[in-house]
Amino acid sequence: MTRTPKRTPATWLRGGGLSTLVFALPMVLVFAVFSWSPIVQSFVMSLQKTNLITSEWVGLDNFVRVLSDPLLGTAVVNTLYFAALALVFGFPLPILLAVLMSEVRRGKGVYSALAYLPVIIPPVVAVLLWKFFYDASPTGVFNSVLGWAGIPPQPWLQAQATAMPSLVLEATWAAAGGSIIIYLAALLSVPPELYDAAEVDGASIWHKIWHVTLPQLRGVIFIMLILQVLATAQVFLEPFLFTGGGPNNATVTVLLLIYRYAFQNSLGGNYGEATALSVLLAIVLALLSFVYFKLTDKWSAS
Amino acid sequence: MKSRSKALAASLAAVGLVASLAACSAGSSSGKTELRVATFPPGADAAAYEAFAAQEEQFEKANPDIDIIGVEYEWEGPTFAVQLAGGSLPDVFTVPFTDSKTLLENGQLMDVTAEVEELGYADKFNPIILEQVQDADGNIFGFPRQAYAMGLHYNRDLFEQAGLDPDAPPTTWDEVREAAKAISEATGKAGFAQMSMNNTGGWQLTAATIAHGGRTQEGTTGSYTSTINNPGTVAALEFLHDLRWEDNSMGSNFLLDWGTINQEFAAGNIGMYTSGSDVYTALVRDFSLDPAVYGLTVIPLEGDDAGVLGGGDIAVVSPTVSEAEKAAAVKWIDWYYMQKLLNKDAAVLDAQTLVDSGQAVGTPVLPVLDQETYLESREWIADLINVPLDQMTGFFDGIFEQTPVGEPKGKTQEIYALLDTVVQAVLTDQNADIDALLTKADADAQALLDE
Amino acid sequence: MSRRTPAPELEADRGILSAFDRRRGGVRIGMTAVHVVLAVGLVVAGLGPILWLAKAAVTPTQDTIQQPLALFPNGIDWANLSQAWIDVQIDQYFLNTIVIAVGSWFMTLLVATTGGYTLSVLKPRYWKVLNGAVLATLFIPSVVLLVPLYLTVVRPVTGGSLLNNYFAVWLPAAANAFTILLVKRFFDSLPREVFEAARTDGAGPFRLFWSIVLPMSRPILGVVSVFAIIAALKDYLWPSLVLPDPRVQPLSVRLPAIQSQVELDVFLAALAISTIIPIVLFLVFQRVFLRSAGLGGAVKG
Repeated sequence: MTRTPKRTPATWLRGGGLSTLVFALPMVLVFAVFSWSPIVQSFVMSLQKTNLITSEWVGLDNFVRVLSDPLLGTAVVNTLYFAALALVFGFPLPILLAVLMSEVRRGKGVYSALAYLPVIIPPVVAVLLWKFFYDASPTGVFNSVLGWAGIPPQPWLQAQATAMPSLVLEATWAAAGGSIIIYLAALLSVPPELYDAAEVDGASIWHKIWHVTLPQLRGVIFIMLILQVLATAQVFLEPFLFTGGGPNNATVTVLLLIYRYAFQNSLGGNYGEATALSVLLAIVLALLSFVYFKLTDKWSAS
Repeated sequence: MKSRSKALAASLAAVGLVASLAACSAGSSSGKTELRVATFPPGADAAAYEAFAAQEEQFEKANPDIDIIGVEYEWEGPTFAVQLAGGSLPDVFTVPFTDSKTLLENGQLMDVTAEVEELGYADKFNPIILEQVQDADGNIFGFPRQAYAMGLHYNRDLFEQAGLDPDAPPTTWDEVREAAKAISEATGKAGFAQMSMNNTGGWQLTAATIAHGGRTQEGTTGSYTSTINNPGTVAALEFLHDLRWEDNSMGSNFLLDWGTINQEFAAGNIGMYTSGSDVYTALVRDFSLDPAVYGLTVIPLEGDDAGVLGGGDIAVVSPTVSEAEKAAAVKWIDWYYMQKLLNKDAAVLDAQTLVDSGQAVGTPVLPVLDQETYLESREWIADLINVPLDQMTGFFDGIFEQTPVGEPKGKTQEIYALLDTVVQAVLTDQNADIDALLTKADADAQALLDE
Repeated sequence: MSRRTPAPELEADRGILSAFDRRRGGVRIGMTAVHVVLAVGLVVAGLGPILWLAKAAVTPTQDTIQQPLALFPNGIDWANLSQAWIDVQIDQYFLNTIVIAVGSWFMTLLVATTGGYTLSVLKPRYWKVLNGAVLATLFIPSVVLLVPLYLTVVRPVTGGSLLNNYFAVWLPAAANAFTILLVKRFFDSLPREVFEAARTDGAGPFRLFWSIVLPMSRPILGVVSVFAIIAALKDYLWPSLVLPDPRVQPLSVRLPAIQSQVELDVFLAALAISTIIPIVLFLVFQRVFLRSAGLGGAVKG
């Protein structure tokens, strides 16, 4: 690039300014209309009441109403419950499976493909299929399996206590494969010298897992943790299609509540309240993703 | 036969799509007024479209300057405003009574007072029903076209398997409970089932409340009082509780709404349930019910002030249409929905067209016009009625003895949504405290009403 | 990032177990046990539901309800498939699904490659501002966009409405900062000397893009394609909002809607048909899929 003493339209054109603009245009247009402007609008709308034809400013009314909705507490608790269950049951499993799979000599490719299959199934299909599996009658699919083991039929989605764990079970099944592949990739980047060194010190297999493998995976594990929290905080499809938030609001999540404000109230949306709650959720999530990007940056830079 | 009618439906749909796309870009090139009218909900049988195509042809023949375009349609409150703003709403469609007041107050329906008066049957409407489509000044915003009363639907086959007489259905709630128990013990199916999701739980609980002599709301426009915690609602919930937890006669699925309960019933998995008396049409058309197993009777009424919850829908015109489209729309409504209630020839033609394509004719409804005209109109088409009337005698014998009661008017759907959770709690929690649930729902409902 | 961009190989030099470990009796028994557990567990959990669905797709309703785990107690009902395909009009929704996926893929690729090229190679004066504005959207969770984006589609600035228009699905899918980031970083890693040489030979920005940069970027384009297509096939909430007309809906939106109106065996056949596209794609492009998965935990963000 030569130094241009003066910028005029002519030099801009000669310097390829126009063709650059042509290349930048798709991105700029698409982002302007479908990303930047909606982001700005969401903050504006959270302070407005609108019926699609006219809008009026209502200050923080929407936030006040959302925060005083008795269902919000339930939704937050349910969402945290979902996240906690997913963390306890769904989080360690892929790590364990990935460690096992990384050690087998033959069939690793087949195992990866099998593990990844549930991720390929469109989530809607998976949920509708599992909804049938969860049939609470004694002849339901899962209840038949339990029957072989002499376990009495479970109510699954049909009772307040078992509904949420049932959702988590399906969500874990659907997502584990993706995590396994990521952990497998990370395991490959553990330097073999570390194991050699540990063996010189006479380390046992467990010792190597505990003191070499897991510490080396620490970065990925933490990132996966944040990603999972981000995903579970926005859980929608499972409660929406499995239970509609029931029984007795046992599976109403924050995102489901947003959806209801905007799209499921009797006549027309409470768009203001929906965006107000979205903004509140977004602030929490944005903080989390900020931490995530700080970490991935650090991690990939190292 | 089947595939031919399917192909017809498909081409009809394709024509509709092309036409609606064309309608977006330009006006009608043929000089005809294009009118987009609501047809059936998604998933309707091909035969229904066949009947519609025949009626469309009849109408266009009589009105050569109007081009009818059928549009698949289902009332969905939540997306109504958006569909209206987005222009995807048909020009003529139907809305339920529960939402008509709110819509007309919002200015989202076309005023058709002059047209109704010109047609000359304004005074023939049942005044209680006409009131549903009028604003405070008496202006009319739609044509009440169909009303229903709550009925008890039952599966005759399951009754027989349980050793019950299908021609002597239960007449008290205790008998319903006994029959449910007998059915579930003999067949393993749900003896009685209850809707509980997507506001239908609240709808059915309200109906059961009124059948037990209670009301969930009192007052008139502007000053509604929630009375959800009343002995009628308590009795209705205790009934459900006893069936679920003492008799275990309600099967294993407690998250049902209008569609899924119909599906389960049509599949033979439900002995009895309550729903609108006109659901037979949909059961046969959309859910493939075997008519031979169907039975219908009135819901039992108990208590001093007991009544039967009624509802219905009105045919309305989109507020965005032009004058020419409005005139065409009124013609269509009058021809498609109203004349068959008023005019012998129209009634016979309509019934014949439906019969020819295997659609239900004679499904029990409540009269939107006066009872005399209604009974007379059934006489006109007596030979064409193809629904199993002798399996519905319980309903026809009892319904005119029952007092119809309209749905609560204040925040109807929002309050139904609140009551959904109450129904679900009773059905999924053995130790649910009915009084506490109702006290809370009552307070929440009142808060909604006070907004 | 660049370290992880190449496809992770499936075999490393060694893992936790040393060659010595593997010869020990206990470890060998243990590894056999691991094999058995993995094989049985993954087949049951990964393949099981799909095989069950395939079986149920051709089983009569009553058999599926009463003996869900029996294998064809009363014969096979192939008619389910044709009924689902024709009567339930799965053919139409299948086609819609493909149209949506292909359109989203094209738009995503178009925006990501031209955008990445602008930010990485052309680098106009304003590139840093642009880069920052695009990256910033990564921090905004998609949920916050739901309602305003919806209203944008209902009432676009151009007038009219984008409801029931596939662009309402394609264009928001393309406004994806993550794919732009991936492509830009890949372009960053391409050797600048090649560009300079091409420029010296008189190649303009368009030729450079089309004949040099794109052909060198096949690996990342494959990854981005997989992301875009899979995301399009999986999406439910957004298309269900902006495509209210059943005639234009994809399978994911249509299936829950028809669930209550279709008999169970036909419905399960419809579900089975819906899994065909993704499974075939997966079997054909397995390596790209697994590479993308290993690379992008961040897709969900």
